[in-house]
Amino acid sequence: MSTENPTSTSDDAAHGALNELSDVRLATALEVHNQLGALTRQLHDSLNGLGLAAKVKDWAGELPDAKSRLSYIARLTGEAAEKVLNQVDQAKAQHDFIASETQRIGALIVKDPVAAVAKGHVMNFIHDVEGASKKVDQHLTEIMMAQDFHDLTGQVIAKVVNLAATIEEQLVLLLIKTAPPDAPVKQVSHEPYVPALDGPVVDGSGNPDVVTDQSQVDDLLASLGF
Amino acid sequence: MSKELRFLIVDDFSTMRRIVRNLLKESGYADADEAEDGVVALQKLRNSTFDFVVSDINMPNMNGFQLLSEIKKDDKLKHLPVLMVTAEARKEDIVMAAQQGAAGYIVKPFTKATLEDKVNHILTKMGLK
Repeated sequence: MSTENPTSTSDDAAHGALNELSDVRLATALEVHNQLGALTRQLHDSLNGLGLAAKVKDWAGELPDAKSRLSYIARLTGEAAEKVLNQVDQAKAQHDFIASETQRIGALIVKDPVAAVAKGHVMNFIHDVEGASKKVDQHLTEIMMAQDFHDLTGQVIAKVVNLAATIEEQLVLLLIKTAPPDAPVKQVSHEPYVPALDGPVVDGSGNPDVVTDQSQVDDLLASLGF
Repeated sequence: MSKELRFLIVDDFSTMRRIVRNLLKESGYADADEAEDGVVALQKLRNSTFDFVVSDINMPNMNGFQLLSEIKKDDKLKHLPVLMVTAEARKEDIVMAAQQGAAGYIVKPFTKATLEDKVNHILTKMGLK
């Protein structure tokens, strides 16, 4: 009778296999880690070599700004749409009023034209229509003013697009720099980046260098004697 | 009857030019022309007669500050009131515009009442109203 325990042999084999697997995993992890390290070093050296390290820092600062700019666009377009729909609702209410009053006064005139004039119905109607028309005109002006979001968001979009284009351009330069020697490389033209003016204030809260409404502009100019 | 005043509206966004033009018309100033940047504005100002300039700042080719500077350097144009209507809200920009001779400064977004008030105030100050 054999003294060998079959369960024990099986456990040892399993244990050995697990150890081997663990070794393989460890080796793979180390290899991946080393590769990542080499890539990071290569990226770091390339960025430094290209003078891009500082730019990457700038991007890191600008990306959250781009996010808040996109939020600003979403807010402004949302507010404009809301404003237009509200003004349209109010203008339509005035229009309905004019339409129903016209029908009512028409019926009164058909029934008894003299009485319609004598009792003041016609004059009241004229007065009411004049008032309603004025209100409709105000609503139309507000609808027109709401379109200013096009200018404001357009400027902000241009800035975000500019940032994306700059990052893309620098990444292309990086790719060219790190490409294998025999890889075909297409030359890219490097247009100098011309910074624009600041444009709309996306979030002026807590920034003492900007104004957030017209009254602050007037106060500032008045304080300077203009 | 006083002569009708002629306005030049300078902005790279056509939407904003239309808004300003319509608002001026509603305020009684129907005679207006438009330019999409400072270069075009300067050409129009030198080739025609205007009484008032409403200008954006952030524009391609020639921005509002450069336009203002060119206007103030030109003996034939320097008397023209220039009202800046812009999204540029930095205090240093506002001060710079005033120092360069801008007649007024409006930050976008603005209201009809603000534009009307500023235009009327400038015209009254210049004795044109």
